Amino acid sequence: MAGPPARAVRRGSARRWRGLGDLLVAFGVQATFHVRAVLAVPRVLVHYRRHVARQVAEISFGSASLFAGGGTIGVIFAMSFVASTQVGLEGYRGLDLIGLTPMSGLMSAMVNTRELAPLVAGVALAAKVGTGFTAQLGAMRISDEIDALESMAVRSLPFLVSTRMAAAFISVVPLYLVGLFASYLATRVAVVVVQGQSGGTYDFYFQLLLSPSDVALSLAKAVVFAMVVTLVHCFYGYYATGGPEGVGRAAGRALRASIVAITFTDMVLTLLFWGLSPSLPALGVR
Amino acid sequence: MALETPPARGPVADAAAQAGLLVVFAARTARAGVRAVLGRRLAWRECLEQCWFLAAVSALPAVLMTIPLGVLVAVNIGSLAGQLGAEGYAGAVVAFVVVGQAAPLVCALMISGVGGSAICADLGSRKLREETEAMEVMGLSTVERLVVPRVLAAVVVTVLLNGVVMAVGIGATLFVHVLLGGSSGGFLATLTAYADPGGFLVAEVKAGVFAVLAALVSAFKGLTARGGPSGLGDAVNEAVVMAFVLVFVANTVLTELHPLLLPPKGEF
Repeated sequence: MAGPPARAVRRGSARRWRGLGDLLVAFGVQATFHVRAVLAVPRVLVHYRRHVARQVAEISFGSASLFAGGGTIGVIFAMSFVASTQVGLEGYRGLDLIGLTPMSGLMSAMVNTRELAPLVAGVALAAKVGTGFTAQLGAMRISDEIDALESMAVRSLPFLVSTRMAAAFISVVPLYLVGLFASYLATRVAVVVVQGQSGGTYDFYFQLLLSPSDVALSLAKAVVFAMVVTLVHCFYGYYATGGPEGVGRAAGRALRASIVAITFTDMVLTLLFWGLSPSLPALGVR
Repeated sequence: MALETPPARGPVADAAAQAGLLVVFAARTARAGVRAVLGRRLAWRECLEQCWFLAAVSALPAVLMTIPLGVLVAVNIGSLAGQLGAEGYAGAVVAFVVVGQAAPLVCALMISGVGGSAICADLGSRKLREETEAMEVMGLSTVERLVVPRVLAAVVVTVLLNGVVMAVGIGATLFVHVLLGGSSGGFLATLTAYADPGGFLVAEVKAGVFAVLAALVSAFKGLTARGGPSGLGDAVNEAVVMAFVLVFVANTVLTELHPLLLPPKGEF
């Protein structure tokens, strides 16, 4: 029953979506796909346990090519580290304007935890894990392997998509914590080693402002991003058409959709978690 | 032009071989580009088509991505600056964050994610159908005919897109800043005081460098793809990851070079 819903999702020809009706159909197809994938996750955890475990290993470490970053853990570490170096340097510059450079630790505790680390982890997941999913599923669709699964009476959507989702859920927590650690480390190196600030003062403000609830909420953000990324990328891969080139193009489209989705989700979650005027309780302001 | 990756010899050797090949590929592309321009045989039509295509696929998502980022910057940094008693500096912070970091990086994500995967998929499928070999047999250089126009198109589109993204980002931040009760005059005053033409220039240079990196990596991975649909899928995946990591690293290097090359004016 999970064959490609005929013309509705022929991604290659956007012209067919001209009408409002077609748009609605496309929306419905996407929504159904996402809902079914999410609902099947608990069942998948029971029935396809070994499959999920293999996916977890593949997401976290496995990759044939070291040049692509030595597994997702390496990619997340590298991207978080480099991005948070910028927080240290630019934040130092910004605080220097108002003569508050000793408070640089604040930048790390706030910006890294609340915004940057989850965003970077989301983008890294999309690039590494997400496009990988699109490529795998797309290649299976192109070579009729998904149809073969269906004809063997394996429901392909839970087997292929929900297992990947469960695996992403499981592996995102340690992966994200590594990324968060990398960003704290990078900002500290940038401020203390590069700019020559006092390490003790930095640590004081960092620890003063780093609240456990913020870390928990930022982890929640990362988990939501992992879900968004998996769903979007699996959708584009599952319904890929047009030969090898179509698989490649589907990966690009999926990346575009998931990056935009991540930034929008990030904005919504930030406003939801910290409100329109985020405060710094530890500083005693407000 | 033989661009075959050597047989696998373990991850470290592979990575080194790929890095070396990529450097060779970049040098070849640069030489072919210079020769094509000097010899007046640059593939203009291909270049224009690629420009149009890249602009069409990346402009709207870039804007869609910039608006929430602008809102976040305004909400977070603006209100935090207010709590430290520095409301007036919100504009300066935007100058640093949006012009200095966010805008070039948004463009980089778009050009390496969306444009790069399209370039990789396009060239990779030509490679798999052996069209590139056919071109070489006919004496046409694939680098000159296919890669150079794409790199040029990526640079043109990214540099222009960067301007759009900066405008949208600053606009969104200003809008939310005013919405939250900030003063637009103070915002614009500090923005114009700290966002000097040098900063703008560096942002554009960054965008251009990111575009070159992304286009080169994607074209390289595309032209070395093999193994049918799944091979091409893997190539696109690796191209995107490599381009993202390279772009992030390049961003740090360029940001560090900025004060050295263009000493900031005024009191920082």
